[in-house]
Amino acid sequence: MFKNGDVKMQKNIILVTFLFIPTILILMFMIYPLIKLIGLSFTNWDGLSPTYKYVGFKNFKKIIFDSPEVWAALKNNGVYFVGHILFIPIELFIAFLLDNRVRCCKLFKTITFLPYIINGVAVACMFSFLYSSQDGVLNSVLQFFNLGKIGWLSDPNIVNYSLTAVSLWRFSGIHIILFLAAFQSLPPDMTEAAVIDGANSFQQFYRIVLPNIKPVVEIVLFLNVRGALQVFDIPYVMTAGGPNHASETFTVQTINTAFQYADFGRACAMAVVLMIIIIIFSVIQQKLFNLKG
Amino acid sequence: MEGNIVTNKKTIFKTARKKVNGWEVLKVLLFVFIAAIVILPMLITLFASFKTLPQIGSESALKPPSVLNLDNYKDVIKNNHVFTGLKNSTILVVVSVVLNSLLSTMVAYCLTRFNFKLKKVYLAVFLIGMVIPGTVTEISRFGIMVNLHVYDTLLAPILIYAGADLMQIYIYNQFLSQIPVSIDESAMMDGASYFTIYWKIIFPMVVPATATLGILKAVDVLNDMYIPFLYMPGANHKTLSTMLFACIQDPRTSSIPKLSAAAVIVMIPTLLIYFIFQKFIFSGIAAGAVKE
Repeated sequence: MFKNGDVKMQKNIILVTFLFIPTILILMFMIYPLIKLIGLSFTNWDGLSPTYKYVGFKNFKKIIFDSPEVWAALKNNGVYFVGHILFIPIELFIAFLLDNRVRCCKLFKTITFLPYIINGVAVACMFSFLYSSQDGVLNSVLQFFNLGKIGWLSDPNIVNYSLTAVSLWRFSGIHIILFLAAFQSLPPDMTEAAVIDGANSFQQFYRIVLPNIKPVVEIVLFLNVRGALQVFDIPYVMTAGGPNHASETFTVQTINTAFQYADFGRACAMAVVLMIIIIIFSVIQQKLFNLKG
Repeated sequence: MEGNIVTNKKTIFKTARKKVNGWEVLKVLLFVFIAAIVILPMLITLFASFKTLPQIGSESALKPPSVLNLDNYKDVIKNNHVFTGLKNSTILVVVSVVLNSLLSTMVAYCLTRFNFKLKKVYLAVFLIGMVIPGTVTEISRFGIMVNLHVYDTLLAPILIYAGADLMQIYIYNQFLSQIPVSIDESAMMDGASYFTIYWKIIFPMVVPATATLGILKAVDVLNDMYIPFLYMPGANHKTLSTMLFACIQDPRTSSIPKLSAAAVIVMIPTLLIYFIFQKFIFSGIAAGAVKE
């Protein structure tokens, strides 16, 4: 047996050895880049030259007051955000049914989660084929019904909705599985009591189930803000932000500002702005959600 | 006796059948519809991968290929770094998953079993990590990787993937808080050190959580395009995702049938992982992610 002092010593040794590598990793690849990002956002660094100048709030001023393209990109992110928000009630309903309220629910559960598992670039390939204006599947379906072709990815008014549909296809599954897990963690007698009291399915759902899975709904709402404001690979791979910047999202623009236009300072400022927007949106959303609940 | 059972079965069947009303049928139809939306794009891609370009133009996309024509696959394998991608992705997955599960269980062990001064600060740091938008912090992380001389090596993504994140620590905490501390204490009485407790008791007991998180991590790493795209541009360092991205940009393989073949190749590993291990994925999410 160890003496008290030994145990304390051992505790300190284990804390230091176990936490050393994780701490180094998070400090070096999370916290330090964050601080550097904020620092660089006040400079005119081009990403290559060894020197740069501090320019104060110039980058931020330019982003906020003199960059219509940034706001246009944010509006595109808004399409993803609203699309996913509108889908949340549907996802809740599907998860509710998957919780032993439909036949073969195991099979359907497997299928519902399937898109989330698939490689994002492969998803982009698949949907490019569906949306293609020449031999595309969707347009040949339209042709079959004698309807005109639609420029799914080439019409600037439509492209964001087409891409949001891909995002919904890909990410609804994870929301549904999280909701389902929340439903399954509820004790069954909870709704049974309500049934005895004569509550119908809708009342059961709205008055009993929903309030009890609130934490998970909050997590999904947060993931949604974070995801929608950071959409990157779907537009980057499928349209490269085109046609004529119509489907550029905030992150695509940030990356282009940094690596194509070599304006690292401004790109860092954009990243900081994005972070602030994510925090503000999450807080507002949470407040609204709590008001309603 | 046997007849009795049969009639019993029949009555059970009948009562079950009585329940089949319009609502029940509607629900199943809804899910068949969802299943079609999920599966059709994949099926169309699979079919297209066996067809020739003229066939794509003339046939319905839903028509199965008449012959199992493997030319597209051969072309993709000949012109692109499929095996390099497979090799690199495998290395990344194995190394990242092993390191990541060791590191995150170690952090979770320290956070649940010990009290120390900086505990709250430590958790806050992980919380910040959760709020930072990953895609854009790459801009400043990029310089660090270059300075560490790991740019265009497999080490760069590994350093990023290996780190523990808040979600994992949270799920491990759920599991660890269910293991009574008295087990630790009695092991201690028997002379076990903290390390022995971690390695012989804690780590084996959280294996179900590790299975879930490891599989999700493996899928994440396999599917990530962005980090390898930024940090490993070299042809020898293609992963499955960046290999597919290169296919899209390569005029030799950017036609629909060839791209479909490449996409099918890239999808196979994650699909295999999913169908083999899906039990763990769902049970782990159910056990950890939700219970507040």
